[in-house]
Amino acid sequence: TTSPGPFPFPREYFFPPFFTRQTNLTTHHAQLTKWSALVLSYCRHHRIFKLPLSPASTTTGTSTTADKPISATPGEDLFYSPKINRRLSLVDTREVINFLKKDGRAEYVAGGDKEGDVVWIYWRTPEEWATLVEGWVEETGQKGSVLTLYELTEGEGTRGTEFHGMDSELLQKALSVLVKRGKAQIFGQEDSQGVKFF
Amino acid sequence: MFLKQIDLTTALRPAYLPDEDLLFVQDNVGLYEGKYKVPNQQNGQVYLTSHRVCYVDKAEPRKHSVALDLKDVERYEFYAGFLKSSAKITLIPKATKRSSLQPRPPGITPGTGSSSVTRTGSPVRAPPMKPPPASTATWVCTICSFSNPVPSNFDPSTASAHTPLPPCLACGIKPTLAHILKASISNATSRQPAPTLYTPLPVRPRPVSEFSAAQISAPGLPSTPGRGTNSSPRTSDPDASFQCPRCTFLNHPSLLSCEICGAPLISHDLPAEFNQQARTETDSPGPFLSTPLSAAAHSLDTPESVKVSFRGGGEKIFYERLKGCMTQRKWLLQGAPPIPRSSRSDSLGGNGTGTGADAGTGSPVERVKVAGIAGLERRGQAMRKNNELVIGSAFEDLEALMASAKDIVALAERFARQVQPGGAGGSASETALLAESASQLGLITTKDIVGTSGGGDSLYLSELARNLAEFLTDDGRGVLKRAGGIMSLVDLWAVFNRARGGVELVSPSDFEKAANLWEKLGLPVRLRTFKSGVKVVQGKDRTDETTIRALLAWMKDLHEFPPDRDVEWDWREFGRGVTARDVAERFGWSIGVAEEELEMAEEKGVLCREEGIEGLKFWENFIDTGEGKSRPNEAKESHDKIMKALKEGGFL
Repeated sequence: TTSPGPFPFPREYFFPPFFTRQTNLTTHHAQLTKWSALVLSYCRHHRIFKLPLSPASTTTGTSTTADKPISATPGEDLFYSPKINRRLSLVDTREVINFLKKDGRAEYVAGGDKEGDVVWIYWRTPEEWATLVEGWVEETGQKGSVLTLYELTEGEGTRGTEFHGMDSELLQKALSVLVKRGKAQIFGQEDSQGVKFF
Repeated sequence: MFLKQIDLTTALRPAYLPDEDLLFVQDNVGLYEGKYKVPNQQNGQVYLTSHRVCYVDKAEPRKHSVALDLKDVERYEFYAGFLKSSAKITLIPKATKRSSLQPRPPGITPGTGSSSVTRTGSPVRAPPMKPPPASTATWVCTICSFSNPVPSNFDPSTASAHTPLPPCLACGIKPTLAHILKASISNATSRQPAPTLYTPLPVRPRPVSEFSAAQISAPGLPSTPGRGTNSSPRTSDPDASFQCPRCTFLNHPSLLSCEICGAPLISHDLPAEFNQQARTETDSPGPFLSTPLSAAAHSLDTPESVKVSFRGGGEKIFYERLKGCMTQRKWLLQGAPPIPRSSRSDSLGGNGTGTGADAGTGSPVERVKVAGIAGLERRGQAMRKNNELVIGSAFEDLEALMASAKDIVALAERFARQVQPGGAGGSASETALLAESASQLGLITTKDIVGTSGGGDSLYLSELARNLAEFLTDDGRGVLKRAGGIMSLVDLWAVFNRARGGVELVSPSDFEKAANLWEKLGLPVRLRTFKSGVKVVQGKDRTDETTIRALLAWMKDLHEFPPDRDVEWDWREFGRGVTARDVAERFGWSIGVAEEELEMAEEKGVLCREEGIEGLKFWENFIDTGEGKSRPNEAKESHDKIMKALKEGGFL
């Protein structure tokens, strides 16, 4: 996978007040909207599926998988603008995440209502991923065949697809959507799961 | 006495002359001219000062406010109200100055009332109008049959046995009163085109609405001032030159006495706007003048008496103050000669000629007339000595006052304390006595001026509000201007009380109540409350929009000029953030006001804030540039789609 290149930050990224929570409601709403758009496009650009919210969580590194294209510190320069030396505070960051949650574009990895330090950023929702996978399966005529999850994300056959190199957890979510729709079936135990498409 | 237009200050109060003091204010008054109501002056406030009585109309203050000078008032009467008729105070004017040309018959007694005084000798008349028979009537002497003129100030209706009659010019015999009376009456009747209208007053061209037919002349006219009326609408028609009644010499129309024989002329010199207005008969119960007072004010003739009708009370106090005022006659002080200085008999005695006599008589005037440098020096010295004396004598009294100031203050305090325990239960007489003693000590408060009857505080507050507005808009002080056009109420209270100089300070609650009245009274300043509760005072023309525009214009300028130090952001694009302090500096506001204005602008969405290590700054709002408004919410959209599908499928 090619390095995506530097992310083109929008104009607001260089605007100091953008990093201060606005008190005027209208302005605040606009601020949240723009932040959400920024987060999504940033994650899409860098193919970040799980976003750490605070610098502390990057060092634990549990969620950063090796096959992800590395930006220097993923998410690091999203909420911190080095040029103007402004940072979005953690509280405000959570507010942005909650705003995304309402749109269905984010979810705490910890699950449920627990707020952790890592969030799923669905710049494509699981449903959208499911549709993509299904489309690919259709195209390549693999309906009825069995594939492992590993194959889907890392296999040769999937090179060039959008979901190549995707986070396996996310893939599982996408596939479970398909399962619900009745288009696939997952079996097997942990670490070597397979899926059959109908 | 004229009712003339007056200037109003910005707070719609009469502009005072120098040395004029305000004595009393009363609202809810109306004006009458003689017996008739003046059409545009029926609801307003009357201000009694030491020099004038002013009326400020409520509806159209700038157009219909008038005043009359107290020096023109001969006397005044008080009429207590009865049933529906409210109390009135009548001000009766003196004769106009033209009478100085006529010999005033010294025998005219005041007992005949002011009407005779007003009638004496005002020669101003319109030629087509019936001239007073006095000036052109002639009587034929019974002895020598020489035709003498009847003296112009002779008035058949008020002449009595005491009226001095000039003797016949040829033979020197004095005629009988009856003879002259007859002559003048017959003259009048023969001259008049219209019957029955014998006008005892010099006929005024003033547009008076009715003529009272009952005012037929007779000796012993009723004592109420008669009405001057026109017998028919006429317009003035000045001749090119005027023929003297006695010697038929053609004089210039603007002369007052004939050049040859000195007889008084009926002047043709009338102002251009001296038009006869059609008389309109009104049958309204309170008879109105047909035209407003402004046209009438141009009349040179003696106007009718003026009545002030007190529909809201306050007439008694007004009357008392008026009495005091008339006895004091403060307006005379303006023309009074300077107070004679103490004789300076020690000054430069023995210099030059004539000073020996000066020193002896103690004349204060320096008469040495020595030319040259010595004279100049002497003059300088004299001036300095004079200054010394003046200052010294002026402050003598002050020292005396300072000595007894303590006593006076203690006295005042004692009086004040005496009222307190009385409280609500104190009798009215006590408070009256207290007020009197307080006023005698010179501690007159505005509350006294306004009176405590009826409306209670409201008049006081409205006057205070006007006072404040004047204080604020007074260009000389520039209070509001110095504060950048907007200042907080607290600051204003402090400045105002300081300016009062320790006398008659205003309590905060009264201050606020008065400030709230600005809007209602239509004054040019207004009180504005910010979101946080801070109240500020600003000019009426200053709105949020203008302030925002000013702010934005300034901030846009900041895009042009690079900031003093290197900043991390693109100042060309974003300008720079401003703190409240920057804004206060730029606009001349106080910091509190600047903060409030910035927050107001933020509220409007014009600015956005930035909280950084340097503090709170405000930027132009580049965050919310309006694009977000049309962006649809994705979840909402999908929800809508589902609903639509369900509806179409007939499930809903």
